[in-house]
Amino acid sequence: MLGFEDCGKLLRLLSAAEVKTVEEIVAEFNSKYPRSLRFYACSALDFFTTDPKEKFLNPTQRLVAFAIIHQAYSSQQPSSNPFVSKLVDAACDDIAEKYERAFVLLLLSSTSVNGREFLKQSAADYINNFDLSSHSFPQREQLQQQYCGKIQPEPFKCMLKDNSLKNIVPDPDVPCGCDSNSSEFDAQPGVTSKIGSGNREETLVGLLSSLSLDGLGPQWIRPLPPRFPVMDGELLWLNPDMNHELLWDYGMCADTSRGVAVRDLISKALKGPLVPVQQEQVLVELANDPKLVYHCGLTPKKLPDLVENNPMIAVEVLIKLVNSPEISEYFTVLVNMEMSLHSMEVVNRLTTTIELPKLFLHTYISNCISACQGIKDRYMQNRLVRLVCVFLQSLIRNKIINVNHIFIEVQSFCIEFSRIREAAGLFRLLKTLD
Amino acid sequence: MDSPPASVALNTRDGSPSAAAGVDDGALFLEGLAKEAAVLFQSGKFADCLRILDQLLQKKENDPKVFHNVAIAESLQDGCSDPRKLIKALEKIKEQSEELACASEEHLEVYYDEWDTSVATFNIAVIWYHLHEYARSFSYLDTLYQIIEPIDEGTALRICLLLLDVALLSHNASRSADVISYIERIFFVSSPGNQADNGSSAHQQPLLVSKSTSLPNNLTIHDGSHPDSTSDDSLTRTLSEEALEDEPLPLLSSLDISGQNLQRPGIVSANDLQRIQPEGSISTADLRLKLHLYKVRFLLLTRNLKAAKREVKMAMNLARGKDYPLALYLKSQLEYARGNHRKAIKLLMASSNSTEMGIPSMYYNDLGCIYYRLGKLHTSGVLFSKALSNSSAVRKEKPPKLLTLSQDKSLLITYNCGIQSLACGRPFHAARCFQMASLIFYNRPLLWLRIAECCLMALDKGLIKSSSASAISEIGVNVIGKGKWRQLALRYGPSNGHGIYVGMNSSVKGDGKQPDLSMSLAWQSLVNALFLLDSSEANYFKADEAPVSEEKESGEAPLSQSSNLKNATGGDPKAPTVASGSSLANANGEVKEHKGGQNLAGTLANSILDYEHICMKENLMIRQAVLADLAFVELALGDPLKALSTARSLLNLPDCSKMYIFLGTMYAAEALCLLNRPNEAAEHLLMYIPDGNNVKLPYSQEDCEKWTVEKVADTDESNGGTAAVVSALSTGDESQAPVFSSSEEARGLFCANFAANFALLGDFEQAQRFLTMAFSDIPNSAQAILTAIYVDIKRGNTQDALAKLRQHKGVRFVPGNLTLNGSC
Repeated sequence: MLGFEDCGKLLRLLSAAEVKTVEEIVAEFNSKYPRSLRFYACSALDFFTTDPKEKFLNPTQRLVAFAIIHQAYSSQQPSSNPFVSKLVDAACDDIAEKYERAFVLLLLSSTSVNGREFLKQSAADYINNFDLSSHSFPQREQLQQQYCGKIQPEPFKCMLKDNSLKNIVPDPDVPCGCDSNSSEFDAQPGVTSKIGSGNREETLVGLLSSLSLDGLGPQWIRPLPPRFPVMDGELLWLNPDMNHELLWDYGMCADTSRGVAVRDLISKALKGPLVPVQQEQVLVELANDPKLVYHCGLTPKKLPDLVENNPMIAVEVLIKLVNSPEISEYFTVLVNMEMSLHSMEVVNRLTTTIELPKLFLHTYISNCISACQGIKDRYMQNRLVRLVCVFLQSLIRNKIINVNHIFIEVQSFCIEFSRIREAAGLFRLLKTLD
Repeated sequence: MDSPPASVALNTRDGSPSAAAGVDDGALFLEGLAKEAAVLFQSGKFADCLRILDQLLQKKENDPKVFHNVAIAESLQDGCSDPRKLIKALEKIKEQSEELACASEEHLEVYYDEWDTSVATFNIAVIWYHLHEYARSFSYLDTLYQIIEPIDEGTALRICLLLLDVALLSHNASRSADVISYIERIFFVSSPGNQADNGSSAHQQPLLVSKSTSLPNNLTIHDGSHPDSTSDDSLTRTLSEEALEDEPLPLLSSLDISGQNLQRPGIVSANDLQRIQPEGSISTADLRLKLHLYKVRFLLLTRNLKAAKREVKMAMNLARGKDYPLALYLKSQLEYARGNHRKAIKLLMASSNSTEMGIPSMYYNDLGCIYYRLGKLHTSGVLFSKALSNSSAVRKEKPPKLLTLSQDKSLLITYNCGIQSLACGRPFHAARCFQMASLIFYNRPLLWLRIAECCLMALDKGLIKSSSASAISEIGVNVIGKGKWRQLALRYGPSNGHGIYVGMNSSVKGDGKQPDLSMSLAWQSLVNALFLLDSSEANYFKADEAPVSEEKESGEAPLSQSSNLKNATGGDPKAPTVASGSSLANANGEVKEHKGGQNLAGTLANSILDYEHICMKENLMIRQAVLADLAFVELALGDPLKALSTARSLLNLPDCSKMYIFLGTMYAAEALCLLNRPNEAAEHLLMYIPDGNNVKLPYSQEDCEKWTVEKVADTDESNGGTAAVVSALSTGDESQAPVFSSSEEARGLFCANFAANFALLGDFEQAQRFLTMAFSDIPNSAQAILTAIYVDIKRGNTQDALAKLRQHKGVRFVPGNLTLNGSC
């Protein structure tokens, strides 16, 4: 609110009401108060003049206060004066003195250039020269329309604030309605008055410094959220660390012969069958070094050649690669390669050592069956069918596949090739399981 | 292997005979140099090592591996003074290798040692780990873990162990479990006897820790070999003699040599050297103990205390006789977690004689944790600061080592300090601690919540102000004027012109670097926390869907089934086998091993499930607190619209606790009133007057207790050696502040707010009625009294209002003593 000095200045302005012209005082106000402070000063004056019965200010001071409130915003539209409705109220207040209402009306009707003559006298002179007959008092509605009509609705009004009261109440112990101006309470020499005369100016200063813009409204209690409890494990418990040191790269300039022999042999194995000694060497070396399989030069693309030429090596390699991220790629290649005795051999061996994915097996079986159907050469077809039948029997007997999943497909296969002994055998096996 | 390795050219790619035939003395020479460098490196003679590397560089100008080793050796020589620079160098080397690999034709088809970047990648991860950047370290290690199969076993084991550490430190329970079971399966595969106490028995089996080029199955062959089998090679002999000092090593190195000699008389290959390196080897017994301790840490993380206790026992048996501080600390942590604080103290004290680097600061820190839980905040504060000063001593240790970095736990201890300061009501100090700790904990929502709490506490204590005051601590009445002029001016809150901006309390002046606590900082922190909570939940979902997306990614394979094949491959060692344990039959005879591991897999899987449940619950709790704080802060910042939506999301949380529903309701109702919607506010508030007449308690004492997880010490261990210390330290016994206000207070608060709402709506009679109820619960609430006065004045009962002011204890009547002497 207003600081100590500003309060003093305001009071001095008011107390000059008897001697200086209203215009002079207003000019002085405008020069002494920067725009930013005017609102505070005006709202203080507004508080003092609200109740015409309240005698904080004497009649001349009240007039000066109204003049200041009005003139502080006279350069703008009357409707943009934040106190305009208050001025209208004052002009319509039946309890107020007629000269006061007339003064406010004059203020309202004046502009920054016209109708300012009445300001060129002191407030005291104005009251003395007041002639009631020359004034008429329009209705409140008319005034409101005239001066407040163009008020833009405020963008946001807060009820909590708007419903507030001034934070100052008269001390209820002072009997209501007692006339502050009567000399009844003035100090009598030697007599201690019950209430005391007090000092009007002192009160004004006190009020000025205590007046709050916010006012008193209903208060919400906003509970402070509690501190979050310390979680389990939130306090950091420290344990001695395991040591992790920087590693030397032993691969530097290292013997890259690792697996050269095997790599050599594997590339040979892609082209044709290895002699037993060679095959043995590959198997031994692979067994000795579990990581060697990743360095032997085999890729999924090369797998079919290996399967065709050296199925035993292919089986070993695939078993070694079972943990490899590429194993599914190898399976994909295997399932898609041309059907042959060797590929079937490989798959059959794999089924006995590692768990193959179900889908892989089913796809493989379907491929076997369609391969049999596709062969034109009668002899080759018979051969392949017999092979497939043996393969399937082995799978079923070893409970590697669940017959129910392929039952219909295998059954129709058996019927199609029922002329072949092995197919009939497989059919009987299916029936026994049925 | 027929051909001696020396006969093979260095740059052999495809193993074609023509390349292999190019016998090259130069290559042999280089190999020799490389080995010498490796030996010098292992013995810590970095300067000599670098000299040799320099020679190598002259021969092989652009070999990334040489660059790599140069970078490592240089860095170790100057004590890893600039770890970030080393990371940059390694990144560059890694990039270079990858480019070379791309250039090499066969890179797609064959895994090649020459361009292998796993060691460089591992080293980058090691440095990030030592810098406490676990998330970064994790991303490197996890990439390696995905392709761990072809990586040689020594490096692979190190990758696994570091990944395990990092995963545990970043609370990644499921990855930790994966790695644990992977290590169990792969690295203990061929060792006979899985019993816990075979570790200390005579036959310590060296674990295969390096590329075993041409050895027959290591573990079996070692059993039969003799430690003193001779070797003609002087280089290896010296090495084995050097290694004799360390217990498990003599066996290992000589065994390796013997194995070596069986195959290749002559030059020791670099691969074998690695096996001999002093700190490079890990015996199976040692690994077994380590793995037990890792499991303890995993089980502690997942709060499976029962299993942790079992595991600790096994570890202790294995560590029998040896001084193993980690085992003791873990046991102490277990007792701490179980609430046996005295036992935990005893265990810590038993290990306190260790003067190893970093141990004292851990000791004090852990004691501090225990004393905090015992409610002795002051003592725990003293202990934490002792831990900090010890930690800074570690930092100054010479010569600096990479390990020093990770031993510097000051940021972690600082977090604990923050918690302690916050509990002691020192928001500025706490905030400073949290802001320092944010260097490593920036991705934890809890940290941001704590920073916001510092702001809220500072606000509550009046150390900072908000644009819309919430706390009215006292009401003053200025008595203005005398006698018949006398007026009363109510004075409350900081915003009535008397509020002085208090940036900070003079009593908490520290070193002048006060953090700038404010409501906007609180807001920002809470938004951070919310973001992190959301993204962690998103991660949960992602983790659930991961298999699906993986399938989609590999869907480009020719067969659509291929993806499923991959998934169905039971033997994929990195599949979360803990969850689907039984499908692990493997060609390498792992089935038997697996049976033993079944129990483990079950424990791990259950622990993860429980832990995920706990995490979800905790995240929900944190989310409630964050949303409540956020709504409060938004009200304080004067943004009721945001506050309303935040409060609503709090109220809409599934399984929101009653306490937070109450807070959310209060904030939502206030926001609605501020938005001129008191009728809607009333609707919110009506939930506490179900029958329209009687006010129910917003929550019960029981609800509060369920929420409170701070543990109390068990009292049944009051005797013991620590009693003296405890009593000596227990003088400053600060009890923890209750977390929530009592349910009666909450009811009173509700009544007061309901009354305020009625007053707003102009129903002063109802307002009066609820105010009366409010006063029976919260007789001293300044806000309730102000509302009551407002209602009285509105109803014209100025006398009543004054009577209330006089009755109320908190109100001070101040004579207005302002005078304008001589100024009028």
